[in-house]
Amino acid sequence: MTAQGQTPGLRYPSNKKTIYDRNLSRSKNSELSRAAFAYLFVEMISYAQKRVKGIADLEKRLNNQGYPLGLKLLELLLARAPPNSALRPTRILPLLQFIAQTLWRHLFNRPADALERSENDASQYMLYDNDPMVNQYISLPREMSQLNCAAFVAGIIEGVCDGAGFATQGVSAHSVGEEPGGEKGSMWPGKTVFLIKFREEVLEREEILGRGG
Amino acid sequence: MAIYSFYIFDRHTECIYTRRWTPRPMSSSGKSGRPQSGSSITSNGDSVPPTRKALSKEDDAKLIFGLVFSLRNMVQKLGGEDDTFLSYRTAEYKLHYYETPTRMKFVMLTDTKQNNLRVALHQIWANLFVEYVVKNPLAPVEHPGGIGVANELFERGLDAFVTAVLPS
Amino acid sequence: MVVFALFIISKAGGLIYNREFHSGLTKLTSNDYLMLAGSFHGMHAITKQLCPVPAAAINPTSGVPSLAPSPFTSRPSGIEVLESSHFRIQCFQTLTGTKFLLFTEPQQPNVDSVLRRIYELYSDYVMKNPFYTVEMPIRCEKFDRSLDGFVKVRS
Repeated sequence: MTAQGQTPGLRYPSNKKTIYDRNLSRSKNSELSRAAFAYLFVEMISYAQKRVKGIADLEKRLNNQGYPLGLKLLELLLARAPPNSALRPTRILPLLQFIAQTLWRHLFNRPADALERSENDASQYMLYDNDPMVNQYISLPREMSQLNCAAFVAGIIEGVCDGAGFATQGVSAHSVGEEPGGEKGSMWPGKTVFLIKFREEVLEREEILGRGG
Repeated sequence: MAIYSFYIFDRHTECIYTRRWTPRPMSSSGKSGRPQSGSSITSNGDSVPPTRKALSKEDDAKLIFGLVFSLRNMVQKLGGEDDTFLSYRTAEYKLHYYETPTRMKFVMLTDTKQNNLRVALHQIWANLFVEYVVKNPLAPVEHPGGIGVANELFERGLDAFVTAVLPS
Repeated sequence: MVVFALFIISKAGGLIYNREFHSGLTKLTSNDYLMLAGSFHGMHAITKQLCPVPAAAINPTSGVPSLAPSPFTSRPSGIEVLESSHFRIQCFQTLTGTKFLLFTEPQQPNVDSVLRRIYELYSDYVMKNPFYTVEMPIRCEKFDRSLDGFVKVRS
């Protein structure tokens, strides 16, 4: 038997104030070490890389690591928002604005760089980041040039969309810094687009809501 | 300014003259009577290797020769045939190098603040070695084992030169 | 400022990075560069051995018996600067034994700070890259690019 308050494996601070006792808004404006994140991300990628067969598989795993973060961030950011605007987005555009502004500011301290709707496919939206923070220190080996580690961020986006009731057919990250047609050595070699493809029923609902409003 | 030691190597890679101005670093081979940092830790476990192995005078000279020889080759490989190795510096000392046209090598170890001593080493060769060793009718042409180099005039000249040109 | 080349030597003496910025040094085969790095590694170790002054003279703290002597204080450093008539090598060794060799012009000031900055770039773009294996040859595009940016801007 262990003495009371000395559960093995879980330690409490001496003042009994655990992270769960703190106010949710306490660390609202605090910053984290970028180096610490970089090293953590290194380990996350090596962990994801251990049992995968291909690049698509690896991106799926990174996506899965980000997904629960998205669900939690949606709740946290709404809880921290001022009371009159703390509403879950119910239309696609406010949701995407929420991702590009609030979520991006929270994660990367700046808004996303562009937001577009696909011309060919009405269910697809494109969110651009010129220089994703997660890729800042990553150089891809030649045989993995198809990979984009921002798949992790795509997972977070997917989590937010799903949590808000906008089911997606998947969110994926693609590098568009050096397109085959574009000039070499462009301004943003790490430019990444996040493709968000919503499901049919989401679009149907959007249409109905649009007619009603 | 401090000068630690001075070596001359002949063209047969042999060390023909050695001079030291400082005591050798204490070897940790047991006869050290000076208290050293961490001695209380090392004393109860004699398996702890000494930080610096006790080298004999000859070993030191051989090491230095091998070192300057390799560095000189490396410099020529990178900088071309007409490039010459001048000196290197660590955090503790600086090694100066001068090679005569007859492939004799003059090496001097000083503290790190010393400017390049190539000119001074050239003067030692021209004004002391040539004058008192080469021109000495009693000294042989080659100096196997250092015969004929460490004569009184040369040593006295070296001491005077060091005190005059490189005041400590 | 003219920087001829940068070498990075692993703690085992292998050449893991080799980059030429400015012509001026003789071109060698990659095998020769590997041998050069290996012999420099050995010579670096010998220059530590040759330290003519006892470490006590340099580390004033060694008179005070300390319970836990730091492994980093009383160790003599190896070659830091090597001068020849055509160029100068500045060597910086990290605490983990990796050596950075920068080949510059003979009268180049502030090479220390340049090397420090290169070390920073290395820690960022090599050590934080998930696809780099420690002690292996460095092939990181972003490291190359940041080095180019840094060295070319300074020259």
